[in-house]
Amino acid sequence: MSASTTTIGSGVGGWFGFLGSTLGSYPGRYRKALKEHRGKSIGLTLLFLAIVTYPVIGHYVISNISRTVVPLPYPDDTVSTFMMIFAIMAIGLNVVVGFAGLLDLGYVAFYAIGAYCAAFLASPHFGALGINLTFLGNVGPGAAGIHLPYWIIAVVAIIVVATFGALLGAPTLRLRGDYLAIVTLGFGEIVPLFFKNLSSVTFSLSLGPINIQLQNANWTGGVQGINPIDPPFLPILGWIFDARSGPMAVYLGLFLLAIAILVARNLELSRIGRAWGAIREDETAAEMMGVNTVRTKLLAFALGASFAGVAGSFQASYLGASTSDFFDFSISILVLIMVILGGVGNIWGAVAGAFVLTYVDKTLLPYIGQRIGDIAPSLPNPAEYNFLIYGIILVIMMRFRPQGFLPSRQREAELSVHGLEEADLAMGIEAPELDNVSVAPPGQEETGGDARTPEVPGEARDL
Amino acid sequence: MSMLRLPEDIATGHMDDSALLVKSRGVTKRFGGLLAVNNVDFDIPRGSIVSLIGPNGAGKTTFFNMITGYYIPTSGEITFDDKPVVRMTGTKVKALKPHQVTALGIGRTFQNIRLFGTMSALDNVRVGLNVHLRSHWWDSVIRTPGMLHEEQKSIDESMELLRLVDLDTRSETWARNLPYGDQRRLEIARALATRPKLLLLDEPTAGMNSSETREMTDFFRRLRSELGLTVLLIEHDMRVVMDISDRITVLDHGEVIAEGSPTEVRANPRVIEAYLGRGAAEAS
Repeated sequence: MSASTTTIGSGVGGWFGFLGSTLGSYPGRYRKALKEHRGKSIGLTLLFLAIVTYPVIGHYVISNISRTVVPLPYPDDTVSTFMMIFAIMAIGLNVVVGFAGLLDLGYVAFYAIGAYCAAFLASPHFGALGINLTFLGNVGPGAAGIHLPYWIIAVVAIIVVATFGALLGAPTLRLRGDYLAIVTLGFGEIVPLFFKNLSSVTFSLSLGPINIQLQNANWTGGVQGINPIDPPFLPILGWIFDARSGPMAVYLGLFLLAIAILVARNLELSRIGRAWGAIREDETAAEMMGVNTVRTKLLAFALGASFAGVAGSFQASYLGASTSDFFDFSISILVLIMVILGGVGNIWGAVAGAFVLTYVDKTLLPYIGQRIGDIAPSLPNPAEYNFLIYGIILVIMMRFRPQGFLPSRQREAELSVHGLEEADLAMGIEAPELDNVSVAPPGQEETGGDARTPEVPGEARDL
Repeated sequence: MSMLRLPEDIATGHMDDSALLVKSRGVTKRFGGLLAVNNVDFDIPRGSIVSLIGPNGAGKTTFFNMITGYYIPTSGEITFDDKPVVRMTGTKVKALKPHQVTALGIGRTFQNIRLFGTMSALDNVRVGLNVHLRSHWWDSVIRTPGMLHEEQKSIDESMELLRLVDLDTRSETWARNLPYGDQRRLEIARALATRPKLLLLDEPTAGMNSSETREMTDFFRRLRSELGLTVLLIEHDMRVVMDISDRITVLDHGEVIAEGSPTEVRANPRVIEAYLGRGAAEAS
């Protein structure tokens, strides 16, 4: 807010001026933070440096130690990249679930659509259908199929996935809670099935000048999926960010993650973020206070989904392949667990949850499995029981730290009555006076906790 | 500015349409077999404080909810500020959405307080301002100067409203952590943030002691005189109703049984029979 109190010019020039003053204020703000919260600031700085330098250190130092001295459970380049991909998804799901309070169990659908955007627009796949188009792609001229650079695909994926997010949102607008979850669950099942089965499409349409004839057209590659997909490529520097590029791809993921964090934070601290909060707290009251709930909820679905579009398109371009098996229902649940473990409603919590769970899933459990296998091959491999282990972790978390690793303030208060009172005392707020009737907690008024009876009997939604 | 009428003018009820902020004709609402509101004609003159009273289940809140677009009437027409809120085309009833009604200039509070509990008092009020903010989500994403300017203005305006209801020192406190009386006042500040011409208050003094109630009624008078607001009140406390109202409409079983100045309503035998009988007996 400090920047906004200064005079702000208008237009593009004003925006750059604002950007300059914001960036210029960071050294001063950092010094101030260092003075006021010394330990915390140093800790966060070290954590930041560790994350930024890890891809290089992991690739050149730790991997060598692991290979020559002693095997270590360290996240390699692929796992690190997937940490970034899942963190972007967790941030997106957090927009829907944490900010707007809409439970979405079909988030994998958007991930899949994002991945297939990249598969369609940067692979030889459509060459078989006679569609060839190369624009700024990293392939020779005249290559079969469509070849667009990843940067354009990412934008296309955002738009396409946001559209599908709104399409999913539209029929669910009147639904709340469990019913909403069921519809999204269905959507999450339907979309991957589409990609799996649209491998021999026969279709004909003749409408004046439009004449489409398809005979056993292979749209999605079916079970085999689509490959090879062009990797992200930076023209002038000649950098390629594919699965063999080591730290390069991790840094691209980190870059995308940084943008995702920034966008999510800016949305949270804006007019739309407050509208989401109002809908999460009390949808009816929000509507009566002038919040266009239809538009706001559709925006939550669309914007939340667009993060998965980026993640999906990056994943497909990075791996160079997109298969329908990958987009299993379990991914939806996994991302939801990341958000819950990290702390619903907190961007940094979502990132932390994604990092931890991806690490456990892709590095730690296989590592433990291998060590156990070395010693006693007859024992079960924990990597095969990953969801059992997540279940146990979740149960333990819900028992001892239900608000997640890095809880949002809202979540913390919802889950702890004591915390609320303590927070009040800490803020120097006295308890309500005795002659004031205390307010019933949310939800209680509907159940008749209030002395007044509803105006009309049987009217469930009395205000 | 709204046109302020003399209380006598308002009390007699003889005025042309332009002096009416709300005009409703033949408003009926049925819930299944239950006739909650039956053929109600109800007008609110500009600049007046009008009360809607009646025993429990008389249909007061239902009527409220139809003015704000939350319920669509079964039949009838409502205009607000000469614009249709509910209109009939043939037998079809077309009603504006609640957020559209809010944008026209109707703010409301709730019988059971419905604040956004885990948002700060300031942010609660800022949600009320949302309907008047023009920046889009993409402005928020890249934080355009226009959007930041608008945000700062919304903070200033919201703080002004919090000052009006004496909550400016509590702006960062969560709504649910405020004492009851503060929550009632915060709800009013939030409703005022929608910049209403008409303020609907659903039992605003419920659960308050007599000194708080007196403060509240003084505050409503101030809202009328300083902000030029028109107020529609649902209230059970007869002292408040008789003290503050220019006009009173009495509903019973979904029908208007009496209408007029406090003195007229007080003397009306049907009202005494239906509603005031017990209260009047206790008072004397």
